[in-house]
Amino acid sequence: MKVAFHPGCVSKGACPELYVSATKIAGTLGLELQELTEAPCTGAGVLSEQNPDLGDSLNALTLAMAESMGGNLMTICSTCQGVLSSVNHTFEKKPERLEKANKTIADQGYTYKGTTKVKHLLWMLFEDIGVDKLKSVIKRKLTGLKIAPFYGCYILRPSDSLGLKERPERKTYLEQLIELLGAERVDYTGSGKCCGFPMLTFNRDKSLAMGGNHILEAKEKGADAMVTPCPLCHLNLDGQQPDAALAISRPLETPIFHLPQLLGLALGFSPEELRLNHHVVSTKRALEKVELKV
Amino acid sequence: MEAGGSHVLMKFTIEVGRYNPEGTYADDAKQGAPYPAPWASSPPRRYQSYEVDLPEHAVVLDALIEIREYQDESVAVRCACRSAICGSCAMWVNGHAHLACKSKLQEFTKDGKTRVESPPSMPVIRDLVWDMKPFWDNHRRVTPWLENKPLPPPMQEYRVTNEAMEELIQEVTCISCGCCLMDCESFAVNKDFMGPHALAKAYRYAADPRDDETQKRLGEYSQQGGVWDCTHCFECVQQCPKGVEPLEQILKLRRMAVNAGYTHNAGTRHADAFAESVKHSGRLNELTLLPKSVGFFNVLGQLATLPSAFNMIRAGKLPPIIHKTIPGVKRIKAIFDRVGGRFK
Amino acid sequence: MITDHDIVVLGAGLAGMRAALEAARNGTSVAVVTKVHPLRSHSNAAQGGINAAIGEGDTWESHAFDTIKGSDYLADQDAVEIMCREAPADVMEFEHMGVIFYRNAEGKLGTRAFGGASQARTYFVGDITGQALLVTLYDQILKAGVKVYEEWFATSLYMEDGRCRGVVALEMITGELHLLRAKAVINGAGGVGRLYEPSTNALICTGDGYGLAYRAGAPLMDMEMVQYHPTTLAGSGFLMTEAARGEGAYLLNSEGDRFMKTYAPKMVELASRDVVSRSEATEIAAGRGIDGNVLLDLRHLGPEIVLKKLPQVHEMALDYLGLDMLKDPIPVRPGMHYMMGGVKTDANGATQVPGLYAAGEVACVSVHGGNRLGANSLLDTIVFGRHSGKHASEYVKTVPDSKGGERLLKSEQARISDLLARPYTGETHARLRLELATMMDKYVGVYRDEAGLEEALKKQQDLKKRYASVAVGDKGRVYNQALTFALELGYMIDVAETIIRSAILRKESRGAQARTDYPQRNDAEWLKHILVHFRGDKAPEITYLPVTITKWKPEARTY
Repeated sequence: MKVAFHPGCVSKGACPELYVSATKIAGTLGLELQELTEAPCTGAGVLSEQNPDLGDSLNALTLAMAESMGGNLMTICSTCQGVLSSVNHTFEKKPERLEKANKTIADQGYTYKGTTKVKHLLWMLFEDIGVDKLKSVIKRKLTGLKIAPFYGCYILRPSDSLGLKERPERKTYLEQLIELLGAERVDYTGSGKCCGFPMLTFNRDKSLAMGGNHILEAKEKGADAMVTPCPLCHLNLDGQQPDAALAISRPLETPIFHLPQLLGLALGFSPEELRLNHHVVSTKRALEKVELKV
Repeated sequence: MEAGGSHVLMKFTIEVGRYNPEGTYADDAKQGAPYPAPWASSPPRRYQSYEVDLPEHAVVLDALIEIREYQDESVAVRCACRSAICGSCAMWVNGHAHLACKSKLQEFTKDGKTRVESPPSMPVIRDLVWDMKPFWDNHRRVTPWLENKPLPPPMQEYRVTNEAMEELIQEVTCISCGCCLMDCESFAVNKDFMGPHALAKAYRYAADPRDDETQKRLGEYSQQGGVWDCTHCFECVQQCPKGVEPLEQILKLRRMAVNAGYTHNAGTRHADAFAESVKHSGRLNELTLLPKSVGFFNVLGQLATLPSAFNMIRAGKLPPIIHKTIPGVKRIKAIFDRVGGRFK
Repeated sequence: MITDHDIVVLGAGLAGMRAALEAARNGTSVAVVTKVHPLRSHSNAAQGGINAAIGEGDTWESHAFDTIKGSDYLADQDAVEIMCREAPADVMEFEHMGVIFYRNAEGKLGTRAFGGASQARTYFVGDITGQALLVTLYDQILKAGVKVYEEWFATSLYMEDGRCRGVVALEMITGELHLLRAKAVINGAGGVGRLYEPSTNALICTGDGYGLAYRAGAPLMDMEMVQYHPTTLAGSGFLMTEAARGEGAYLLNSEGDRFMKTYAPKMVELASRDVVSRSEATEIAAGRGIDGNVLLDLRHLGPEIVLKKLPQVHEMALDYLGLDMLKDPIPVRPGMHYMMGGVKTDANGATQVPGLYAAGEVACVSVHGGNRLGANSLLDTIVFGRHSGKHASEYVKTVPDSKGGERLLKSEQARISDLLARPYTGETHARLRLELATMMDKYVGVYRDEAGLEEALKKQQDLKKRYASVAVGDKGRVYNQALTFALELGYMIDVAETIIRSAILRKESRGAQARTDYPQRNDAEWLKHILVHFRGDKAPEITYLPVTITKWKPEARTY
């Protein structure tokens, strides 16, 4: 299956292990990734909040690029997913905004007709690849590993633009996947909450407390590790975890897996191939539970 | 029941989170675990189950009224209009903020029951009656009244366009139920945050063409606890039962504040650094984002981020020191220029 | 605890808060006592708008005539004149306070049509006009620094030397009883919809203000005049604003006919509320209803009008019946909505008890007479709320300080303790309330007759006896709602008696009083108000007052 692929800035920046693991497992899943190397950052909501027209235009460009490649666009980042979904939703509801954006990108030789479907890898697993196919490629059950899911805001909210009314099951894909891979899912209240990343640069303490609280809750409910489909959440939950622990004065030490890393382990890739040795919080103890070493 | 209703009664199970400061509980009220979150303001409650027979389209509030009137008069719950107008019956239904009068029992029945309780991030008075003091205190903080421009001549209205009034109506539909605040993730960790409802109200007055203090307001709302303390998580948009979309109002306030010159804050620096990076390289440069947001001359702020940076470097996680630009970045610059406005 | 203020206002809806604001502006120390937070008050349910003769070519006389004709000539014309003359200034004042009224193309206030009005003079904010006014007024009392005692439930008025000198109230959060001593009390405690089942009113509309004033010696007037709103949602009884018809909606019977053409050839769906409600009841009784309802049809209005001007009722029909107004006609029926009658006041808001003022639905000035026009109730609250605040502020200057009230506080405490200690006998406030309210709807509803009303009185007397054995199923102090519900029921039973007795006495059909045994209006004998006075354990005493007629002689009423 050919898909246009928008890896997002963070997977090519501060979370290279996400990019590496995602591209590594794609083949096994039957995905032929055509990377949009010339697509810009989605703006993560920051650009559009201050300049909606700019957000519209930059994303119309990306959507138009994907449209010309067949119209199926895959993301590996909840934030990219959220921004692109909401831009698509806005264009659908307010055609005048699409028209305006098209005027801007016309200079660059692009027009967006409005047909691109944007899907996160997580959604594609269930909606395009399918559970049967997944089952057939799983080589190693992650039995004994307790995993807490952590979605990231923008793959859940606002639900209107993410199609969650039509497909409410999208809210439970992570849990379903954890079980499908043979791991044990940990239910806790924080799975759909905010990691705190959007506030990290300007409200550091609160941001750390926010993420820290969710990790603590998952840990206290027995999680060996958490899994997230969002590299921005990963930056806060893994990259800032030692500071988060200080912020809430509680030890945390809970490794955070990227979605393709967890999946990749079940598909038989080694922790090194998935760059599980490039985390701030060591994944060692969690991996030992499934008799793997880094 | 009349037309539109139904004669079919269904059995529903409601689990009510009970809390009674006087300490009296029914024998069958199960002791609940203390809420795990360290920010929880409410004490542990007990859960008591009730069964009610109601029409299939009944809402959670119907069940609670039925319980309170015919099964257990000691269940305390605020309610008045029953039709999502008065804002009294906001509570947690299955772990999220909802109006009980707008929550269909069938939709909310999970594993054979519906659980209702007061929101853990708020102080509780009794059972489902929670203390709205934080909500009203924040409401008052935003100067929630018109500071009039010079009045029009006697018996005349201010001449403003209907569009200008319609711009405010989204906030005016707010029924002050508190759903946004009780699920607000920033407020949960930051009691100094004004919260979505109050900032939406702030926008309503700041954007009113009849108000004379817009500039001053924007200054106040840009302070600590104001628009920049929102984490942009969309919970308030998701949980608002009236479509107020508080986050959208907050974002409008941010734009207004920046345009009005209130740019000496980390939020604005963050946005500027973000935009600059995207404009010149097509993508985000995490390496410069943080220091630029904190402010290069904010030595303490810079130092505070050092341990994390060190950890990330050690893990091989930090982005390449030489930030790569995407191919075709000229296009991006051109779009920035063409759109104009902020970030040009 | 005892606290002193110049003025205590009971209720924080539009009338109460407007009175408080006026009193504060006049430099008096004013406090508001309300059993719910001000923004929960039922004023927020007023959807359609507020009337004022502002537009070019409109006159206050035209507004007054429509109001008087709508009242079936029972309104006091001097009071109507004050309301209609002052309406434009009061509406403008709310605009200046920040209400975001709908504007026309010139940027001036725009109007919509409403029932019983010869001109479009209803000013509005979508279909949330009451809420928009209430929120703005609440913000204004915050600005003015008015003290508000939220979630305090009034149990009694404090009388001293024949004057009303305060309110005893239960602080619900602690269960503590307080005396709020004052030189004047303004009663803006709202309506008594819960006396009827179903009703458009909120659960908090339990007539506390009527009961408190009545027991303190203030007579209730025009109590037989109970308005049934023509369009309340099937099943739940929620209000579907008259603005729907104002914007052009049709009423259809089971045969798909716009039956109002028969009953009101000129105004059709926009005849006054009593006329439309009776027509619907007649259609339903004749077998042309659909499960006891008729249909409200908005389909021809299109999404632009429905979604922009009537979004709230569109959402309600969707939420509570699963019907989309854009595609489906909505089943509606007449439902109890408003009390024209209330505590008798003069145009200053003064009742017959010195020191006690009243305004809003609980009061009867009387500007609504036998039938209130849509969008006149919001107007009533803000005009007479303002008057009562102003006059009470003058009055308090003549009143000396008080040191009394301890005894009342103790006896009220004892009354509550007794009520809490009462053993369970099987009578509950909920069952009694339901019996009372369904009985009222059955016998004292749209159509009435002698036999039914006598039956109603008998049942009411019986319920009054049984009320003495109602026990409270919650013994705690903190937020004991069972206790306040039991107290509210006491108020409602008293109010029921005044309604039934007045309806029995008025042997004619006028406005909301439609007697099948006396189908004609009888100006010779009944162009007068009925006043009911509390006489303790004895039957209430009845007196009469002539209707004030100034410019408009009673004539036949057709729409």
